[in-house]
Amino acid sequence: MIIEQCKIIRNDEVAGGIWEMEFSAPEIVSYYTGPGQFLEILLENKWSFTVRRPMSIANVEEKRITIIYKIFGRGTKILSESKIGGILDLLGPLGNVFSGWKEKYVPILVGGGVGLAPILNLFKECQKYKIHSNLILGARTGREHFIDHDPSNGIFLTTDDGTLGTSGTVIPTLENVFSVVDNPMVYACGPLPMLKAVQDFVIQNKIPAQLSVESYMGCGTGLCQGCVIKKRNIKAKAHSYHERYSLVCMDGPVYSADEVCFD
Amino acid sequence: MTDFRIQIGNIEFKNPIFTASGTFGYGNDVPDFVDVSKLGGIVTKSITLHPREGNPPPRIVETPSGMINSIGLANVGVDHYMREMVPSYSTIGTKIIMNIAGSTLDEYIEIIRKVESISSDIAGYEINISCPNVKKGGMEFGVDRSLTAELTRTLRTLTDRLLIVKLSPNVTDIAAIAVAAEESGANAVSAINTVVGMSINPMSWKSNIYTVFGGLSGPATKPIGLAAVQKIFHSVKIPIIGIGGITNSLDVIEYFLAGASAVQLGTVNYQDPSAGEKMIDELETYCKDVSIDSISSLVGKVKN
Repeated sequence: MIIEQCKIIRNDEVAGGIWEMEFSAPEIVSYYTGPGQFLEILLENKWSFTVRRPMSIANVEEKRITIIYKIFGRGTKILSESKIGGILDLLGPLGNVFSGWKEKYVPILVGGGVGLAPILNLFKECQKYKIHSNLILGARTGREHFIDHDPSNGIFLTTDDGTLGTSGTVIPTLENVFSVVDNPMVYACGPLPMLKAVQDFVIQNKIPAQLSVESYMGCGTGLCQGCVIKKRNIKAKAHSYHERYSLVCMDGPVYSADEVCFD
Repeated sequence: MTDFRIQIGNIEFKNPIFTASGTFGYGNDVPDFVDVSKLGGIVTKSITLHPREGNPPPRIVETPSGMINSIGLANVGVDHYMREMVPSYSTIGTKIIMNIAGSTLDEYIEIIRKVESISSDIAGYEINISCPNVKKGGMEFGVDRSLTAELTRTLRTLTDRLLIVKLSPNVTDIAAIAVAAEESGANAVSAINTVVGMSINPMSWKSNIYTVFGGLSGPATKPIGLAAVQKIFHSVKIPIIGIGGITNSLDVIEYFLAGASAVQLGTVNYQDPSAGEKMIDELETYCKDVSIDSISSLVGKVKN
């Protein structure tokens, strides 16, 4: 990882409230190891926004990185107002990567909300390696989607309000795809209710799966110990360290579905 | 060339820029792009007698010009620390100050006995008597003059290494606690630890921190830290290590003028763990511009 001052090349609203930003980051790219990794963005006027914003890497092309973000609050609003040619202070790449997808499995990729960034990244990477994968993307409504519903090519969109693709959550589509795929492995990233539902489904059906989790982060480098997630099936011990909690920035953000607990 | 060396007890530090406890790991686990050997010193995470998981999430939240944390002293415990971390200090290139926390006097004693029983490159101890985030994080010592005195006096008999007492701002009279530490044999005091704070989510009506309250840090606390250092400066003769919201070299100068002989950087490490290295270069420029030969000549020179 490294801190790099990166020039903004592109910053567009690609769907309702969903933005894509691309910047030149040759140094960060030189450390990049694959889909799943993320960046920490320091916003301008940095002491109004003390903590860097973690953002998953959505694409890496030569020396350029793309992120996808949704306007949630003041910080992401300011990000959306950033001008092309402007400079962003970025720390990265951070975290671990999705694994196993180059091996014997058929990847089923599930993304929702802003959680689609690492999933799209993995989808493109699968295409690059000519690995057939299935992509299931969920949103609340059609205008939040920015790629086409294309079931014949393994791209399935869902919307909560039924305005695009299949009506409902990603889970029924996941069930359908699962029923026709041999040797599947599920990769998911998205809002908490979606991750929980995917986790329940893969555990019940004994499907190997990896989840990329979100966490409120203070630094991204392990120093603050703030971004912990609870581990599953821990045995209570009087004294322990990192057995009950895992540090998302260092041990994650990608976990095996049976490792973490969202309660 | 300005002289940045400073002296605390019988230890000379190459410069007065240290990192604050809980913001720089154990010193040996920071990102590769950080050159820790440029720092005057590193204060480790608080180390306790037994390993600790720390508090359930959420542990941190951003606040105006700062953040609140309630990590809950998550750490590997003294045995693991001595075995796995301390050996790397022989080549780290800077001075290591081990921060220790206990819930009883006996726990502090036992930690120091364990450390003292093994030869190591630890320069000294910073005694955490001011963690606001765990029920028994030493805070009961930190708010009480006689308990501070008893703890300091007892630990003084166990070690010849530096003994630095870290003070809480969450007290009525911080200078009185500093005096108790000085009279009981502390080589220095560091001030301030985090300020008790709270942040609420107006939609869910919940605190943004699991433990409800947490410790406020960052630039929001700088005026509180400066005032604490100035008050302590008028009450004790031992060096004061200033802490609270330092983000650049001019903040360091302010702390020196208020009475600090060294400083610790905390929250700034979260934005940039190499902030300390950069500040040392900036300080050099400042001192050259205003013709200061020795950084120590600034201590307490605020014009009142």
